[in-house]
Amino acid sequence: MSPASSESTLPPIAITGMAVLTPLGDTPDLLAAALAAGRAALEPAADVPGVAAAAIRDFEATRYANVRGLRLYNRPTRLAICAAKMALSDSGIEAAGLPAEQLGVLLASTFGHLETLLEYDRSLVTAGMQRTNPALMPLAIPSAPGAATALSFGAKAFSITLSDAGVGSLDALGLGSRLVGGGRARACLVVATFSACKDLVLAASRAGLLSPTAALRAFDRRGDGTAFGEAAAAVVLERVELARERGAEPKAYLKGQASAFAGEPAGLESALGHACGRALRAAGLASAEIGLVSAGANGSAVQDGAEARALGALLGASTAGAPVMATKGNLGETMDASGLLQTLVAVAAMRSGKAPPIVGLEDPVFAGLRYLTREANVDARNALVTSISYEGACSALVVSREP
Amino acid sequence: MRRRVVITGCGVVTAAGTELAPFWANLMAGTCFIGPLRHFSVPGMDPLTGTEVDLAEPDSLEQDARGGRCAQLTLAAVRRALADARLGADHLGRAGVVIGTTLGEERQVGEVSDRWPASGADSIGPDFFSKSDSHRLATLVAKRHGLGGPTLVSATACSSGNAALAWAFEMVSCGGADVAVAGGADALTRSIYTGFLRMGALSRSICHPFDRRLDGVSFGEGAGVLVLEELEHARRRGAAVQAELAGYGVSNDAHHITAPDPNGVGTVAAIRQALETSGTGLGEVDYVSAHGTGTPYNDVAETRAMKAVFGERAGAVPISSIKSMIGHTNGAASAIEAVACTLALRHQGVPPTANLTEPHPECDLDYVPLRGRAMRVGTCLNLSAGFGGFNVCSVIKRAP
Repeated sequence: MSPASSESTLPPIAITGMAVLTPLGDTPDLLAAALAAGRAALEPAADVPGVAAAAIRDFEATRYANVRGLRLYNRPTRLAICAAKMALSDSGIEAAGLPAEQLGVLLASTFGHLETLLEYDRSLVTAGMQRTNPALMPLAIPSAPGAATALSFGAKAFSITLSDAGVGSLDALGLGSRLVGGGRARACLVVATFSACKDLVLAASRAGLLSPTAALRAFDRRGDGTAFGEAAAAVVLERVELARERGAEPKAYLKGQASAFAGEPAGLESALGHACGRALRAAGLASAEIGLVSAGANGSAVQDGAEARALGALLGASTAGAPVMATKGNLGETMDASGLLQTLVAVAAMRSGKAPPIVGLEDPVFAGLRYLTREANVDARNALVTSISYEGACSALVVSREP
Repeated sequence: MRRRVVITGCGVVTAAGTELAPFWANLMAGTCFIGPLRHFSVPGMDPLTGTEVDLAEPDSLEQDARGGRCAQLTLAAVRRALADARLGADHLGRAGVVIGTTLGEERQVGEVSDRWPASGADSIGPDFFSKSDSHRLATLVAKRHGLGGPTLVSATACSSGNAALAWAFEMVSCGGADVAVAGGADALTRSIYTGFLRMGALSRSICHPFDRRLDGVSFGEGAGVLVLEELEHARRRGAAVQAELAGYGVSNDAHHITAPDPNGVGTVAAIRQALETSGTGLGEVDYVSAHGTGTPYNDVAETRAMKAVFGERAGAVPISSIKSMIGHTNGAASAIEAVACTLALRHQGVPPTANLTEPHPECDLDYVPLRGRAMRVGTCLNLSAGFGGFNVCSVIKRAP
């Protein structure tokens, strides 16, 4: 007889390596310190007037990774490879002699190939086929950043790219957990990258997604749009018992992940609620056991309102409930990378006992949440990470301090 | 405890047919649909060969203001698969969707590029953001059919369709959903034609998998979608269970950004993992659906992989490539081939490799040349590989 439950069950999965590349820091500790200080990286975009962006200044890939072919890859791919390298080093798994057949790579990237595709296609139009660079075409398809990352580290278990946009890295953490939990690899590098090329910023601006006032006010009634940020993040996932076996010290544990979809904006609150509920059930936790929320609010009125109301319904709509933090006012909307960054910020807060404030929040879109407006002490064993995509996908993840 | 995953619906839109019956009949007859393209061309290139799909209403209307050709093909195949599964709206509210694609809506990027020389940055319209977001392939399906579960888009180049089946298998077997719609879709694009031509991997005539004349790929467009369902859920609603997706195997060559490992090492690993995780013995395998692209790189490596896995029995296991008839449909290919495997179980026969009259000297297996073969089929392996070296093998068995 098959299990009656429709909740995803997994063996405990440990995060044994973490890395970030952001405008506010290139280690989780540096990033946490900058967020705690309320620093924001958003500034007027360099090449698109009237919008804000958060870019990594003076990024030099060879500072982080020395892998073959690095110079051939575009910026989001280089960011991914560098984050992956740092996460691998942090986990100590390379030094432990992990066989290549036991390492898998799962990359969250929807737009990472776009600049290369545009370059290839425009050269085709302007210069003709014989003048195109044939080496560009394989790098101009959506799977290219993931393939390049896996090739860089010789990962032979799998090389997967998920293109789920704003919920991409939470979906990737869920799938990565299943693949590691099911024994498809001993370790899985989950990597997420986002770096908007000028064309994408222009398109988002013209579509009305970006704040015309060049501000990003998460969860605020004045929210009039978002602003893109540039970032990559990576984690190494392992089964808990195998991590312990090699003497690794897990940084945190993934307990549950679920996604849902809403076909209309009016359904977002309900869909996110379903995703949160299922992630909690998969984790075997009650909502009261959530001590911290790392939200995806990005300044878009519809999404932020739906997220706030869904969290209110889940947590009891009380300002005495679990504290809610949101970091896109600091880092910008990093799309595929956002969920992983939110997860790592939550892990840092649980480990340090301090959670950062939501910058720019003055007039909450929904009153029944305990928004953090200044750095606060938190004592959380479990954190909930939430995200909503522009297309209506909602994803939730439970990450815990203890197994 | 893992839950068993069964196939209760299939849908294809290919040059060989947009309904299951003509699709299967054309495959078994060994009809090659590769020929001059009527609707797609690339400026500066000679007239192209490949395969195209003719969609009539209502499929031709499955293209909202933000959808492109790839979405249209996806939605057409999904509609057929859901109808085949006889799934009502009451079963779709928590259903998931996983779509694999190599190129997504790349053709729409081309439209922007066409305007680039005259318009520069003004060529970027407000809809370019959503057109560039390939996640929309899954969310459009969810929106159109009221699916409220996870929406995933998997990009693993030409193994994307099989990979989508694998992630949907995980979703259903782990309890993340009772029903998942999974498959792959791709339209013809100019980057794939020009890129393969420049790399010397585009056939100068029509593709000849495993044949002495093999000289490259012939591309096609299409989509293949399967409805996966937890076994007990399917039984409770009285569904016609067509086959079981018994498991899958994955591996990565980590060899080169485009070229596969010449000895098929990754393919061997994926097959072995698929057999092991699905509890399938070597002797149970009745048919192998090859990746079979018609390139020397692939076909020779795939043949070596078969020999490494099956040993002396390799020559006794029929293996064929339907790309010889419908072209290489990129991310759709292995999903369409999964539908072909399901039909092989249903009809107790295996499709052929068309255009195979003089076997390549290094290809000496039973490739089922020219015509399909009636035979007992209980277990099929569905092989796929993609740029970047990602290999997926799914195991499709007779319905439990």
